[in-house]
Amino acid sequence: MDPIPRKDDEDISLTGFNRHVGPLHRLASTPDGTERFAFTVEAKHMNASAVVHGGMLMAFIDVAMSHSARSAAGGAALLSTVALNCDFVSPARLGDTIEARVRVNRCTRSVVFLSGQLFAEECLLLAATGLWKIAGSR
Amino acid sequence: MSDLVAPPPGFTPMTLADPFERHVGPVFEKTVAESRRFAIRIGEQHVNVRGILHGGMLATFADLALGAAVMDAAANAPSVTLSMQMQYLKPARLGDIVEVQPELLRRTRALVFIRGDFTVAGEIVFAAMSTWKLLGQH
Repeated sequence: MDPIPRKDDEDISLTGFNRHVGPLHRLASTPDGTERFAFTVEAKHMNASAVVHGGMLMAFIDVAMSHSARSAAGGAALLSTVALNCDFVSPARLGDTIEARVRVNRCTRSVVFLSGQLFAEECLLLAATGLWKIAGSR
Repeated sequence: MSDLVAPPPGFTPMTLADPFERHVGPVFEKTVAESRRFAIRIGEQHVNVRGILHGGMLATFADLALGAAVMDAAANAPSVTLSMQMQYLKPARLGDIVEVQPELLRRTRALVFIRGDFTVAGEIVFAAMSTWKLLGQH
């Protein structure tokens, strides 16, 4: 994958925790509706064993799935993570560009069901499922 | 920045080996009933645009605290996170202190099963259940 950001990539790490761990970018979605996001691994993302910290991988998939859930809910809604399940499949390394691919499995009035995966090139790093609650709904 | 954040009463700053943990810390610890209890004080670098603790920061804290408890249970043997299941019960806010005392469920030769309830002022806000692999063991 080409280094990011590229033309048309949107910075989604302007404030708070996202800014602290970013930059994180939103890429164009694929024609089949898969939402895509990416960041490039820096020294601050690592653990002492020279692989990317699991906390950073979970933080990134949380951000990617949150943005995807908001889009599915119509864009303006406030959403919050209710449940997130992550399997750590392979380690990632310094300099990798990590891409998130997220699918919305179902969006009701109150809950969004999603699945997401992280890749470095075509190597699967992390597989996740999650539930997001749409604020103000029942 | 980290040194300027006061530990919660009874806690001392935890020594963090991983660059990512130092980046998102500080984290505090104390010994209670022969096991470690961990805490973070929520700062600007931990929250989202609404001033609510970021789900990714909670996931990172869970990985860090449960991982430290795994090391305690396995005589500091190297280990990796295999999976993490998380429930976000209630928002935590800027200035809140989040605490967890991980609960070891089972340790086999190769695996450690562990969980934790994360509280603010005694009220549970987040729960994590996790499976870890002890490296080099089958």
